[in-house]
Amino acid sequence: MSRDAMWDMVRMAWTMLSGRTDRDVRPGRPREPRPQPEPEERAIAAEGFAEEALPWLDAVYRFSLRLTRGDQDAAEDLVQDTFLRAHRFWHTYQRGTNAKSWLFTICRNTYLHQKELVRNQRERPEADLGARVEALSAASVFDTGSADPEQAFFGALIDDRVVEAIDALPEEFHEVLVLSDLGDLKYGEIAQVLDIPVGTVKSRLFRARKLLQDRLREFAVDSGYVQETT
Amino acid sequence: MMESTGMIRCEEALARLWEFLDGELPPPDEAMVKKHLDICNRCYPQYDFQRAYFEYTSRMREREHAPPALRQRLFEMILEQEANNGKAS
Repeated sequence: MSRDAMWDMVRMAWTMLSGRTDRDVRPGRPREPRPQPEPEERAIAAEGFAEEALPWLDAVYRFSLRLTRGDQDAAEDLVQDTFLRAHRFWHTYQRGTNAKSWLFTICRNTYLHQKELVRNQRERPEADLGARVEALSAASVFDTGSADPEQAFFGALIDDRVVEAIDALPEEFHEVLVLSDLGDLKYGEIAQVLDIPVGTVKSRLFRARKLLQDRLREFAVDSGYVQETT
Repeated sequence: MMESTGMIRCEEALARLWEFLDGELPPPDEAMVKKHLDICNRCYPQYDFQRAYFEYTSRMREREHAPPALRQRLFEMILEQEANNGKAS
């Protein structure tokens, strides 16, 4: 089977899974609706924080999960640090601009700072041994808490393979793809978070998606969706 | 392929496909890519595949939420931070 024919079969499998059959060309893609604040969170005194910042908690959590390559405890710590820092410096945020990009920037900077601290600690192996042993013993067991375990299993299985492929991308491609395709940021917002030109965002994103497609194609072959013949 | 009658070529359409789906093309360029995809049997499957990818990532976003315990803990920590500061930020 030729490479093009194999690709066609992967597309067909994906199209069938997504339930799409007829030709329907539309620009744009599904975008994340603007989340609403939780009523009780309005008790926070910092003006506008509950309305503009906290609704992005889920988005920041998803971003943190990918930055930490799926480490849930580390992701939760990162989310906490991000929002506590954002709350502390809320007076520097210009209300009505773009709280989501602002939070993602804080989250990424916090992550890079923590990573640097860990790297420095590794250079002093005797330091904080007790803390690291404690962290290992506190590692939680995965629990979906799902009422429908079969659906959760198949959902997790497919997601795991896609997430695995995303997390295997080289760092500069990984972060731009996560910000765009999972974080749902636009090119200009990604440029702002990473402090790089929009043109660089576009070229990195193009290459990142190409790499991801190649990995998903390998997955499709490995899983038997398509057969690779010589 | 398809370069007459003002139609862009397949290579150009495919090169701009991600931007088209990201909603980042200027309206005239967007219209040209759409016009091409409406009739090109070679490029449409690639468009459909990439669109399915975005529908998948959109569903991934909808499935993944911050744990309720984290939301509650964070809310309490923010209130505590405000109480310690003794004033609203």
